[in-house]
Amino acid sequence: MRTYVARRLLQGLVVLWLVSLLIFSLVRILPGDAVIMQLDQAAAPTPEVLARARRELGLDRPFLAQYRSWITDAVHGDLGRSLVTRRPVTQELLKRINLTSHLAVLSIVIALLIALPIGVLSAVRQDTASDYLGRLFAILGLSLPEFWLATVAITFLAIWFQWIPPIGFAPIWQDPARCLSQLLIPALIIGARLAAVSMRMTRSSLLEVLRQDYIRTARAKGTRERAVIVRHALKNAFIPVVTIVGQQFSVLLGGTVIVEFIFLQPGVGSLMLDAVLLRDYTLIQGAVLFFAAVIVATNLLVDLSYAWLDPRIRYR
Amino acid sequence: MKTALLPLVTVLSILALAPSPALAQEKPGDAPFAYAAPAFIKELDTRFPAQPPVPPSPPRYGGVLHFPAVVRAFDPTVGYRPELALVWDTLTEWEATWYYPDVQRTPVIRKTLVTDWRMQNPSTWIFKLRQGVKFHNRPPVNGREMVAEDVKYSYELLKDKAQYSTRAALVKHITVIDRYTVRFDLAMPDPKFHLNIVDSLSPVIVPREAVEAPGGLAENPIGTGAFMLKEFSPGDGALLVKNPDYYLKDKDGRSLPYVDAVRLYFTKDAATETALFRSKQIDVMRVSTLDQTYALMKTVPDLALYRVSSFGWGDYGISMALDKAPFNDVRVRQALSMAINRDIVAEVINKGDAALYGPFPWGLAGYTKRTDYSYANLGPNYQYNPKEAKRLLAEAGYANGFDLELEWAEFQGWTYGEFVQLAARFFQDVGIRVKLKQLETSTWLAKNTGIQPFNSALATFSPIGAGPSFMDWVYLRYHGSFPKTINREPVQDPKLDDLLTSWRTDPGDKRPQLQRAIWDHLRKHVYRITTIVPPHYRVSQSYVHAGGNPYCWFPGYCSYEAKTAWLTDKAPSRKFDKFAQ
Repeated sequence: MRTYVARRLLQGLVVLWLVSLLIFSLVRILPGDAVIMQLDQAAAPTPEVLARARRELGLDRPFLAQYRSWITDAVHGDLGRSLVTRRPVTQELLKRINLTSHLAVLSIVIALLIALPIGVLSAVRQDTASDYLGRLFAILGLSLPEFWLATVAITFLAIWFQWIPPIGFAPIWQDPARCLSQLLIPALIIGARLAAVSMRMTRSSLLEVLRQDYIRTARAKGTRERAVIVRHALKNAFIPVVTIVGQQFSVLLGGTVIVEFIFLQPGVGSLMLDAVLLRDYTLIQGAVLFFAAVIVATNLLVDLSYAWLDPRIRYR
Repeated sequence: MKTALLPLVTVLSILALAPSPALAQEKPGDAPFAYAAPAFIKELDTRFPAQPPVPPSPPRYGGVLHFPAVVRAFDPTVGYRPELALVWDTLTEWEATWYYPDVQRTPVIRKTLVTDWRMQNPSTWIFKLRQGVKFHNRPPVNGREMVAEDVKYSYELLKDKAQYSTRAALVKHITVIDRYTVRFDLAMPDPKFHLNIVDSLSPVIVPREAVEAPGGLAENPIGTGAFMLKEFSPGDGALLVKNPDYYLKDKDGRSLPYVDAVRLYFTKDAATETALFRSKQIDVMRVSTLDQTYALMKTVPDLALYRVSSFGWGDYGISMALDKAPFNDVRVRQALSMAINRDIVAEVINKGDAALYGPFPWGLAGYTKRTDYSYANLGPNYQYNPKEAKRLLAEAGYANGFDLELEWAEFQGWTYGEFVQLAARFFQDVGIRVKLKQLETSTWLAKNTGIQPFNSALATFSPIGAGPSFMDWVYLRYHGSFPKTINREPVQDPKLDDLLTSWRTDPGDKRPQLQRAIWDHLRKHVYRITTIVPPHYRVSQSYVHAGGNPYCWFPGYCSYEAKTAWLTDKAPSRKFDKFAQ
């Protein structure tokens, strides 16, 4: 087990180094730079002024020199300063991650609360009306894009109730009512899609498990159907669901951008998008590196959880 | 897919329904377009006249004004945003209250940090500062008085920053004469230099102690402005509270600002902004199109609309690479301009609610009435005449047309996708083979600012200025001595340079005539193809009184109007909540 974890951590470090190199190169291939993107429409600077602005940001230095100083600082925990706000990247990320992690956790809780009962019901009552309804829900959840749902939600909330979720983030431990009123609708929208994915996975995985020999044996022994499902089938059926949820959590940490935009929630997704639009290299690099680390860690945790769910699994 | 096809279908439908060119020429006054919204436009004209009524007096103090904005860094040394004018003052600013109806047609300067000025000679100017102006009472500045040294320091600090360089570069040297007097020595003589220190593109005045303190102005946002920054939450918003020591008074001697605080929401999506307005979470906002205005008026029927002809910002045009054939031939440029039916452009872009646009803002050529914005005042090069366009092309040696690559990009606030499809269709009608090339927005921006060259033609807006400044809008953008980052195409015309230089060195008497002569010269030579400019729509809640003027029309672009805005007792009660808790 220890050897396995050590090996995975080492592999993770190599992945992070490759990611750092890749993202550092890719952002510099993009056309434009932070100086151009920040110019006002009425500004008309001379080439000399633009060159000076680039020099101030260190953008005139050779590629390798820029990379060397950035990666050295990153190894020491300093991801640099944003080229736009001049604030430390770590500080910007930590501030935004608070909201996004609230949104991600709430979305996943909502998704699981919806997906697990419907998925189990669909599998247990395969090809009945409740199965068809469950599958219809899943298809709708997968088909309706988040940007559409979010736009419709905010528009009709404003028209019908003259209300939209409040702006200004409050962590759940400080002001639970405000936090929920702010995040519940965005989380429902994100959660609906995730619920659809998880529901389908739960259903298909449970169907497969229910056809296993040991389930047949349990039934032959006279075990009640509920006990067969809950005690024998569900735990094993959850392995692919956990994988999906683990992956989705990593994705949600940086991927709630559209909902964040529409509901004016300043999370990591909108931070990243702004950074890309403004060519804020240091912020993009820092955020991508941070998320690569989160994804590496999440994947490791998900892999380790398999052994708990299925004791037959061994790590070498 | 549907969204992508909609503009194309609209364009084709309108082209199909439009009369034949010959018919259009026979009856130039007709407006026979199926998609026009004349009844609604007429309703707007009646309900919301361009000169809004003067609000009741006395104004009410208190309340928190909310409006949308986009500010990435609340620090003038880092980047320019007009909203910074809430905290940092320029030496003077444009009057924008309804109490001065004249400002709707004639720019009026509001004396802020400067109370008087004098031209010693066109290269030397003396400015007298207002006495008793204090910086915000916060450490490390602690409310000390703003003096001449601060003006010198600020201009020297900011003149090399890209965001202020256009204006500040005109100043060669600043000398402190005494505590309240500064002398500006200019790089080039300018008898109207005082017009170049007026708005937020001019350097703002910052205190040295705050700049040099740890964290600089970002951590110590101290100015002399009407508001003090309480919280700045990037991507979220900003909260600014009233400066109790603000020096400016209203017309009746009452202290400003009236509101207790201003909250900016950094919105990024039109649907979100609209929802915020409908739910009364923002009080004033800009609306881009007639359609959106219509939709909003249906759900917020008591809103107030400031609908004003654009001074120039927001037009639709095409820049051509003038240093290349065939665009270096005036006949080709004239032909391209004549090939465009501007009435149809106005229909497609904004349901017909738009004004014709010429080489530069109408007001700067002396046309101040809406009825002046006519084909007659623009001349034949701006009138739809495909037959003459073909003749000019043949005369220039392009009887069989030529290949033209028209570059464009999506850019917030404009609908270039529809515009370039229309332009391509019009050009093809006179034999020009158009290839549309969509650019990534940053590449388009780089070409638009002259940092990268464009291949042959670029769909874009005219180079703009801040406020009604001829220097910004015309002199800098057309004079051959400036690089492409300022004079985009670039225009190289010795006769035009002479006219511009005469304008610059004229003490003032002949400037109006010179401006008209430059207008006439430019509309003849068509260095840029300009078409139409939609009006500005600014909506506000019924409980808000906020001024504006044609070049300073939405909160944000002219943030200093927030200092004269006030809320009635019908405004929602609001707390000074922090954004991030």
